[in-house]
Amino acid sequence: MSKGLQETLFGAAARLTPILICLALWQAVTSLHVADPEFLPSVGAVLEAFYDLAKEKTIFVELGVSLLTAGAGLVSGILIGVPLGAVMALSKGADGFFGPLIKATYSLPKSALIPLFVLWFGVGGITNVLATVLTTLLPIVIYTYHGVQGVPRSFVWSAQAMGTPPATLLRRIILPAALPAILTGVRIALGFAFIVTIAAEMIVSNHGIGKLMFLYGDSGAYNYMFAAVITIVVTAFVADWLLQLATAHVLRWQDTVEQHA
Amino acid sequence: MQGVDSCKIVIEGLSKRFDDVLAVENIDLTITAGDFVSIVGPSGCGKSTLLYMLGGFISPTAGRLLADGKTIVKPGIDRGIVFQDYALFPWLTVEQNIAYGLQMKKSSRDEIKETVARYISVIGLGGFEKRYPRELSGGMRQRVALARTFAYGPDILLLDEPFGALDSQTREIMQDELLRLWRTTNKTIVMVTHDVGEAVYLSTKVCVMSKRPGRIIETYTIALQHTESREAVVLSPQYTDVRNKVWLSVRRQVLAAAG
Repeated sequence: MSKGLQETLFGAAARLTPILICLALWQAVTSLHVADPEFLPSVGAVLEAFYDLAKEKTIFVELGVSLLTAGAGLVSGILIGVPLGAVMALSKGADGFFGPLIKATYSLPKSALIPLFVLWFGVGGITNVLATVLTTLLPIVIYTYHGVQGVPRSFVWSAQAMGTPPATLLRRIILPAALPAILTGVRIALGFAFIVTIAAEMIVSNHGIGKLMFLYGDSGAYNYMFAAVITIVVTAFVADWLLQLATAHVLRWQDTVEQHA
Repeated sequence: MQGVDSCKIVIEGLSKRFDDVLAVENIDLTITAGDFVSIVGPSGCGKSTLLYMLGGFISPTAGRLLADGKTIVKPGIDRGIVFQDYALFPWLTVEQNIAYGLQMKKSSRDEIKETVARYISVIGLGGFEKRYPRELSGGMRQRVALARTFAYGPDILLLDEPFGALDSQTREIMQDELLRLWRTTNKTIVMVTHDVGEAVYLSTKVCVMSKRPGRIIETYTIALQHTESREAVVLSPQYTDVRNKVWLSVRRQVLAAAG
């Protein structure tokens, strides 16, 4: 076995160990009847419930709805947030106009708006996407803003001296230079997108993993509820991991501590 | 002998004020095409401010600057700049960095390829074309920064303490490389530096600036024979003599600035 492969396997094992310990503890607690199995179903019971839901494809359909909502919210957040943050950083006027709005909505719990959106846009669909967009928008705007503001003056001046027109300057210099910050914002937004999507589905919706969690929880089918919870936890974990892989590739030029370690 | 045509850069009555700080005051300077002019002076005397105004990055409070007879109002591709921190774009490889200015000029693909390859070989970085700046040493980054600026062909080079971040051995090597590039291309160079020896070794003219508000208080014309080796030049009485004079002149300003 090559040394590289050995290290990779060892690394994977090291990362999985804490999760396995938690699962073992969970199983031990249920097997020893420390907790009422009605409220804390065993690992086995949850797996059975998951198998059941997977067989009928229900879980995948509902997961698809949640993923679509979170994804649409995140992508819209990026499409609106990056230009907005960049314009605010580059123009005092735009900063003066949008700044107070951003600050005012920063601490506002976006899920509190869901009942209002339901009134205006109906149950599910647009309402949930809208709540997700509003939530993902903020970290992306803020990180883009600081990323663009932090672009070294010497980059901009060098590019201008080489005859870079303003639009090209934004595309070829400012955005790439701000990309590490923007991607940090996107990673935070990804987490927010899942949180708000599930919350919106739990509050009022006809579909999604959040809806399943709410239904099974309400009817006391806790093994099914746990199966739904674990499905979304694993999905969000994988989504974050994929985003990190993509980020590492896109930012392979970056001079970071990790690369030197 | 010098006609108006040979005046590459003309600076007249130039002053710059930042809020309540007068950075440079009433500077007059004429630079002939093909000259290598160094500006030395104590820290904070406004040397870099003067250079940035020549670049068109900041505008003067009073007075005017002309390049080739035209007033400088904004950055232009006739004036290239090299910063102490190199300002290489870290997301571009060595060859992409050197190609950048040529792409902005809309040079043809073949021309870009040919020019980039030529400069890669001039700076001796063959094999490093696809590397990112983070993978290069300080001296290599400095070479790429110079190549990037020479490649798209500005007539005037503005150098902002270009070797300030290098160790002294690398700095000497880079100085000689710059001399070679300058003599083969006949650019007009304006360099800001802290290093009096460097200024005297490289330049045809050295301007000493006063403590803030910066004014040009002395100008030395230098005629060293660079056909000889570095050792011969540095050890010559001619070099030592001018260097000592310039050093004393700067020293007086530094002491005056310290109070």
